[in-house]
Amino acid sequence: MILYDYVLSASCYKVRLMAALLGTPLTLRAVNFHPGREHKSPEMLALNPKGTLPILQDGDTVLTDSADILRHLTADHPEWQSSDDDRWLDFASDLNDSLGLARLHDVIGYAADIDTARAAGVTALRKLEAHLTEQRFEGLIFLTGKTPTIADIACFPNTALAPDGGVSLDPYPSIRLWMRAIRSLPGFIEMPGIHRLHELAHPA
Amino acid sequence: MDWVAVALTEDVPPGVVIPSRIEDTDLAIWCTPSGRYHAWSDRCPHRGMRLSHGFVRGETLACIYHGWQYNETGSCDYIPAHPKLTPPDTICVPTYTCAEEGGVIWVSLTDTDRPLPALGGRTPVRSLPVNMSAADLAAHFGATTFTTIAVVSDVDVLLAVQPCTGGTCMVHALAAAEADRSSVSHWLENLRATLEGVPA
Repeated sequence: MILYDYVLSASCYKVRLMAALLGTPLTLRAVNFHPGREHKSPEMLALNPKGTLPILQDGDTVLTDSADILRHLTADHPEWQSSDDDRWLDFASDLNDSLGLARLHDVIGYAADIDTARAAGVTALRKLEAHLTEQRFEGLIFLTGKTPTIADIACFPNTALAPDGGVSLDPYPSIRLWMRAIRSLPGFIEMPGIHRLHELAHPA
Repeated sequence: MDWVAVALTEDVPPGVVIPSRIEDTDLAIWCTPSGRYHAWSDRCPHRGMRLSHGFVRGETLACIYHGWQYNETGSCDYIPAHPKLTPPDTICVPTYTCAEEGGVIWVSLTDTDRPLPALGGRTPVRSLPVNMSAADLAAHFGATTFTTIAVVSDVDVLLAVQPCTGGTCMVHALAAAEADRSSVSHWLENLRATLEGVPA
């Protein structure tokens, strides 16, 4: 499988992270998204007329929506899917349109109404915190149950990168512990702005 | 200065460091692997990196930047770039008075002989940020202090309020042990919506 990838993209990272956790090899094709706008080049538009990343090419199948890609990658891994995933994949879109937009505004100068984007991001983080707190009342740490699913992988990147867009994660204890649980998963990989758990890599 | 609730213990498990604050004072709150809590200035004395970005290694807190390790008194024990050096006593992090009581981590920025706030046997439910100053929140309930505010409404709740920057606060809520925590959590969301004047 080939992933047309941009290292700073939260949505591309969802795909790289999911594949790493599954142990599924990906061939990465780096696309010069910024400043080259290579995703809008004729070659890339021929592959994906929407002109977006990520793009996953698996034989004749070409997928351009990160939620579809997560479902595709886990098609043979039912343990990574739950009946509650859909609402959280929709929620991941909300995170991308708020926190993700604020980050692209701050990091690579995207046009955005930054105050509106950040306010929508805070609203989303409050919803996420409330849900994860309820999960903890039941002794659960992940979004849909005891084990992680594509719901967690879809929502994790834009949440963890919120500070890049000027939105603090400090006041959300349940989100912090949820992110810690994801970063503790075997096979977890980093991206710029999301580091691994130091203390697990080098036990005292 | 009086005690201020800065976090719930269940949100800071052993081996974890978190960022917190009392007004303009940034804090790194951390729990040793053996379960002792500490509240420190959130700056590494070396290059000013936030220690709350760091990590707990053994019974020390290590800075993420250059790995300098600080023991439980705040003194630097180890500098990885100079492994044979015994760091001088002058390299130390300012520490604050910190205590755990009733599942809440309490901090005083100055030495204090005041007793820890009475919690009436209530147990922690959750912490949540509110866009309102601690003083205004206390005034809303007719309370003279925000350290703890007892609220009897649909539910019996104690709010331990932490003043933060920019006219915001963190509310650490406790309720009777037999209370349904999910119901209390919803009540808190509605309270916040009322206080902030915006829908939850």
